[in-house]
Amino acid sequence: MTDIDRRSLLKLGAGASALAALGVPTQVLAQAAAQGQLTIAFPSDVPTWDPNARSLAAVQSLYKCIFDQPLTQNPDITVKPALVTKWGYVDDKGLALAFDFRSDVTFHDGSPLTAADFRYSFFDRPRAPVPEGGRKLDTSFIWRKIKDIEVASPTRAIIHFTDPMPSAVAWMYFLTSYVVPKAYLEKVGLDEFQKKPIGSGPFKLVEYQQGARAVLEANPKYFDGAPKIGRVTIEFVRDPTARVAAIESRRVDCAIDVPVREAIRLGTVQGLTTSIDAISDITLLQITKNGGFADDRVRLAAHHAINKEAISKALFGGAAKPISVPAAHGTSGYPEDFNFPFSEEKAVALLKEVGHGPQNPISIKFASPNGAFPNDFDAARAIVAMWKKVGINAELETIELSTYQERLRAGTLPEATYFSWGNAAGDPELYGGYLLDPKSIFSAFKTDDLAPKFQPLLVEMDEKKRLDGYKAAHRYAAEKGYTIPLYQTVKTTVHVNTLKVTKYDNGLTLPQGWTKA
Amino acid sequence: MSRIALQLLFRRVLLAIPILLCVSALVFVILRLLPADPVAMSLPPGATAEDLAKLRQAFGLDRSIPEQYLIWLGKLLTGDFGGSIYFRRPVLDLVSKALPATIELVFLGLVLGVALGVAGGLAMFAWRGRAGEQVLDLGTSGLMAIPEFLWAILLILVFGVALPILPFIGRLSPGLSLPPPVTGFLLLDSAITLRLDVLGSALRHMVLPATALAIGLAPLVMRVLRSSLMEVIQEDYITQARLRGIPEHTILVRHALKNAALPTISLIGVQGGFMFGGTVLVEMIFAFPGMGNLMVDAVRNHDLPVIQVVGLVYCVLVLAINAVVDVVYLMANPKLRTA
Repeated sequence: MTDIDRRSLLKLGAGASALAALGVPTQVLAQAAAQGQLTIAFPSDVPTWDPNARSLAAVQSLYKCIFDQPLTQNPDITVKPALVTKWGYVDDKGLALAFDFRSDVTFHDGSPLTAADFRYSFFDRPRAPVPEGGRKLDTSFIWRKIKDIEVASPTRAIIHFTDPMPSAVAWMYFLTSYVVPKAYLEKVGLDEFQKKPIGSGPFKLVEYQQGARAVLEANPKYFDGAPKIGRVTIEFVRDPTARVAAIESRRVDCAIDVPVREAIRLGTVQGLTTSIDAISDITLLQITKNGGFADDRVRLAAHHAINKEAISKALFGGAAKPISVPAAHGTSGYPEDFNFPFSEEKAVALLKEVGHGPQNPISIKFASPNGAFPNDFDAARAIVAMWKKVGINAELETIELSTYQERLRAGTLPEATYFSWGNAAGDPELYGGYLLDPKSIFSAFKTDDLAPKFQPLLVEMDEKKRLDGYKAAHRYAAEKGYTIPLYQTVKTTVHVNTLKVTKYDNGLTLPQGWTKA
Repeated sequence: MSRIALQLLFRRVLLAIPILLCVSALVFVILRLLPADPVAMSLPPGATAEDLAKLRQAFGLDRSIPEQYLIWLGKLLTGDFGGSIYFRRPVLDLVSKALPATIELVFLGLVLGVALGVAGGLAMFAWRGRAGEQVLDLGTSGLMAIPEFLWAILLILVFGVALPILPFIGRLSPGLSLPPPVTGFLLLDSAITLRLDVLGSALRHMVLPATALAIGLAPLVMRVLRSSLMEVIQEDYITQARLRGIPEHTILVRHALKNAALPTISLIGVQGGFMFGGTVLVEMIFAFPGMGNLMVDAVRNHDLPVIQVVGLVYCVLVLAINAVVDVVYLMANPKLRTA
């Protein structure tokens, strides 16, 4: 080695030492920028790596990285084959649903995925006894109508239902419907499985620190083609300000669910791209017949008085698409020919009929979470101001989401509650079927005349009749003042320009389809 | 450790038992009085009102509060910490993974806070009556006026974004993997396994959260130490030391500081407990996988078994810090040793 070489080396060493002393995270920055590697700031961690256990919408993207579902969705949320190539009812009563599985799918340990794994995931596991104080898998509630799953061959299974379940196909690409490896799970047990989960998905989980991060590596044998990005690090960053800082400092390539105002600002920063999109989740006011909302005309006036377009422009950059019924535009239960108009005149007229107006306002209570959904409390305050203009005096209170379901069950929710409802599948049963059927534990407005509108649809196997039925029932509920839908929920993503992101209309974050220059 | 110190520790342990019982009962009752149902909020689509009733029964939530408490306490005493409703895993498993991270963070925060506080206190004392003291005094007021979580955000914006010299997400850089667990403490494990890259990365990741915590402690230590030094410096033995010609810095370090440190030690004990409380928001902001983050998840999901145990662990930690401080105080104060 020459003197010059030595000197260069010393200079390099000194430079590196200086950087190290300063604490410059050169590895972080280099890795974030490296090709074939991706770092995402994601707002939620999975509670468990058992994908059949919890029906949490916020973490479905993570499960879909590791596990596969029988069916999946295109970016426009239309159904797409996944583990299954063909599916359909094989009887005339809608009680036998057959699936033909691909023969080339393997789990991450190399073992083949067969119809037996499907039966294990959808029939055996949900029915397995639970220890004292334990809890059944969520799949045991969802698939309770399954009488048996017949494994006709390694690539064919037939579900036999006790009663018709018209949403069964939609559930095959919705919450908890993942196929897990029977042999591996039985061999290692649930505890070990949760530490080292194995699926057949596009990525393998190679490292996991609860509450901190998950490191995924592309599955080279993935049946739908290996992901283009070889290694994905998902940093669980709960705090939205920290997610903004992470993408702004380029410590991550992509940040999910950034506050809308920040997303708009970051969109103007060189090298970053912002997406603010309406997704299939909806935001609505869960209303009751309590207090001032006992009269239909007051509820209808309250609905007419809300200028959804204005709220969308002011708080969501215009991206929150107003809705007239509790469903997302473009989904099969949305009556596109129906519009519930914003009309202060109509609101004033309706209130006048019940003896109220701006000078003599009717008082109601209105609850909203603060920070649980995008711009929730700001939107609620805007609604209060709009109501005040027509003669509804709303007392706004903050509600914790942890108390929402209990108050819903106990019937102690106020007249209106600002709420967001997730439905990545887009099936109408998962909108009105849950939100408006008076028998549903998720419905707030209990009225007998809604039961015959929705309950027959829960077993209607004629798909056209079913979808038309939901459109009509959704419309009926809005026209009668049984629901006040607001707009489609907004999803924000900010990423570096070198990253090509595939956006899904249901808001899922699926890096398996992304590329990085 | 002297016999008196051991006796003190023993007394502290005995005293801790009724305190822990009271705290556990208080947390338990308050959580049950809130209008929230952890089972109801985690019900999946397809569940019915009957399912809810069955689940409430399975978790014992249909029993009276005293009955629920006694069952929970009985199990706790046999080592059964229960299972998390949200995570569907044993609470002990969750806590044992999160606790080392928080202890490491608080330890670093304490060290940093005490170091800054002592250095600042000495500087204030040395510059007494001069502009430097006024500036530092004003500075400590500013530091105390801003809460930890705001410091956390400010530190991220300055050192993470504007001058991107320090990491602020998680515990390690993305390219690094965890060393094999030996003690469960990342810093120790990386040192034991000679993973110096991991050790360096982990320390870098702790600088900002530890500083956010330390900022709450340092100004208090500075002020108390300065005041104590001002008092001690008036004592006769200091005057005599000066008359003997002992240099001023030797008087300060060897005589004055030793005696002035006693109130500071008590303060550190109290503030150390508060520091554990401060980790809740700081850990969430820095995506630091410790007890604070676990607590946030548990509270959001009203995960009663986790909240109860985490609350109890916080209580144990505070009591432990106080016990340690008491012993240190005893060792540092000869008067107490002979009392």
